[in-house]
Amino acid sequence: MKRFTNLLKKEIKELVTKQLIISLAFTVILFNFIGQVSKKEVRKATGIQTISVLDEDGSAGSKDLLKRPEMALFKIVDLSGKTKEQALETAKAGESKLLLVIPKGFGDSLAELKPSELETYSFMRSFSLIGARGQVVVQSVLSAVNEALSNDFLRKKLPDMDTASLKKPIKSKDFIIVQDRMAEGSANLVAGMISQQSMFIPIVLMMIIIYSSQMVISAVAMEKQNKTLETLLTVPIKRTSIITAKMLAAGLIGLISAGVYMFGMQSFLGGIGDEAAKAGAQAGAPALMQKLGLTFNTTGYIILGLSIFLAILVALAVAMILGVLAEDFRSAQNMIMPLMFMVMIPYFISIFADLNTISLPLKIFVLAIPFTHPFLVSQNLYLGNYGMIAAGLGYMLLVFIVLVVFAARVFSSDKILTMKLRFGKKKAAVA
Amino acid sequence: MPNVLTVRGLKKSYGSQMALAGIDFDVQAGEVFALIGPNGAGKTTTLRIVATLLTSSAGEIAFLDHDLCKDPDFVREKISYLPEEAGAYKDMKGLDYLHFMANFYARTPEEEKEFVDRAVAITELGDRLKTKVGTYSKGMTRKLLLARALMTKPVLAILDEPTSGLDVLNALEVREIVRRYVREGTSVLLSSHNMLEIEFLSDRVALIDKGRILDSGTPQELKDKHNAKNLEEVFRSSVR
Repeated sequence: MKRFTNLLKKEIKELVTKQLIISLAFTVILFNFIGQVSKKEVRKATGIQTISVLDEDGSAGSKDLLKRPEMALFKIVDLSGKTKEQALETAKAGESKLLLVIPKGFGDSLAELKPSELETYSFMRSFSLIGARGQVVVQSVLSAVNEALSNDFLRKKLPDMDTASLKKPIKSKDFIIVQDRMAEGSANLVAGMISQQSMFIPIVLMMIIIYSSQMVISAVAMEKQNKTLETLLTVPIKRTSIITAKMLAAGLIGLISAGVYMFGMQSFLGGIGDEAAKAGAQAGAPALMQKLGLTFNTTGYIILGLSIFLAILVALAVAMILGVLAEDFRSAQNMIMPLMFMVMIPYFISIFADLNTISLPLKIFVLAIPFTHPFLVSQNLYLGNYGMIAAGLGYMLLVFIVLVVFAARVFSSDKILTMKLRFGKKKAAVA
Repeated sequence: MPNVLTVRGLKKSYGSQMALAGIDFDVQAGEVFALIGPNGAGKTTTLRIVATLLTSSAGEIAFLDHDLCKDPDFVREKISYLPEEAGAYKDMKGLDYLHFMANFYARTPEEEKEFVDRAVAITELGDRLKTKVGTYSKGMTRKLLLARALMTKPVLAILDEPTSGLDVLNALEVREIVRRYVREGTSVLLSSHNMLEIEFLSDRVALIDKGRILDSGTPQELKDKHNAKNLEEVFRSSVR
């Protein structure tokens, strides 16, 4: 145990470098900064928008339109009295997202209940996701104008009727059933919430796997590159202890690094997500999810944690073998690619396809990748597919044992010194 | 003198390539036994097998009456190996490296201190041991590694080209250190290209070429047998 601790300490010290600490701190600060900036921008984009209006008609109808409660969503800059060109120049110089031009004859058309035409000029001042929302503003202005005018028409023609009931004569009461639980609510809302929650798992998993694997591959490759491996292999410590110490150190540091990155990313995504959620209609979602049993209890979290932990162990074992194949630190960086693909395949398939509906060969292929199972755990927990969860956990454990036994054999044999994978070159043995 | 190491019929092949074609030799207690031969003769392969890094394809190796292949853990407790192209952890300070390595062998903190003190004396690096290994010259690193290999007073020190890359003065110093530890009871199995070094250091020598031992004996015996002035001439005569 003393020898193992000695080696573990050395592995941890080697991984915790000044560069790592600076890089982690910088990432957290950067994510936080971007999060704060995004938060401000989202708030601006989802708040009250400024629009300029040039009323060429000047009729009572057009003036009345701008004072309607439906237009309260906008801060209106009135440019009446200017020519269209002047209005365009003024609006462009200001902060208006668009210029709305009410043409002559608009009031008369309204009085005759004829369809009217409005002109809109959107100012695209940036091409960022949030900045380029010109069309959204146009749509919301037009929809507010249409809402106001159609309400007017209906009130004039059918003064005794409720305008809202006239426009939507059918109202639906939506129910969702999950297993044996039923609750009133929107299926879209539930699906959105689940995908939002599930999105976090693959990101966490990918981060941890990539960090830890890179560390373990590099740890073995660096021993080779620095010519320290041969000495290490002749000191009195079990080969399995060498593997375990390297995997444990990489796993721990990978976990901490991923945790720090996730914290940074959360403050970045939180900046956008919180503001967007405030603007959206997700208020009743948590209660609805609770009612449908679509939340994790302690056992659920333990199962999810166990699944992620097993996936990390599998990744570390694969990384250990890949590290043996790497000749030096540089080739170790290339070795990480196959592992990344193995994590990304189930991630993308889980986003774009339903595992239950894909073809059997593809399904077998996806399920054979050990990293698929943590992605499926959350939905299997929601749906009560405990058999599937147990099979996934058992499969990952089996793969881990096989890989560790293989890695231990490689470390105990000549292969640790003779096994190499050279890209574009023939395999060569040590003389 | 009893044998520390007995090697019989040792063979090693990498696929179809035969590296050792069945070699026999012994290393006696308190002697320096050297393998000399050209590149690719099988010297390093032999040393790596004895150091438990590689497995043999055939043959028997007894270390202190233990089967080396069956009980490598026992062997690793008693030997130390200095590879030709060895390195030390560059981000570690020299002293930390010695403590790290001593920790694998020492049973008590006192013993660890004893090992490290001995290594510090061998290196003669003084305060430089408090700086990172990455800043050392090749000679300093080699001395650090030699100190690491000898600090535990191993039963058998396996040294592959111990003075590789060292200047004349450093090489001389290293040879004197090795001789001193042999006088104190450590046996040494070494390989070298440097025939002068072999003559100075070795009690007995084996000439190896193409995976076979051509001849063996004390340097003087070999010179007399081949009517040669030095080991270089002995080697040339043996190869013919």
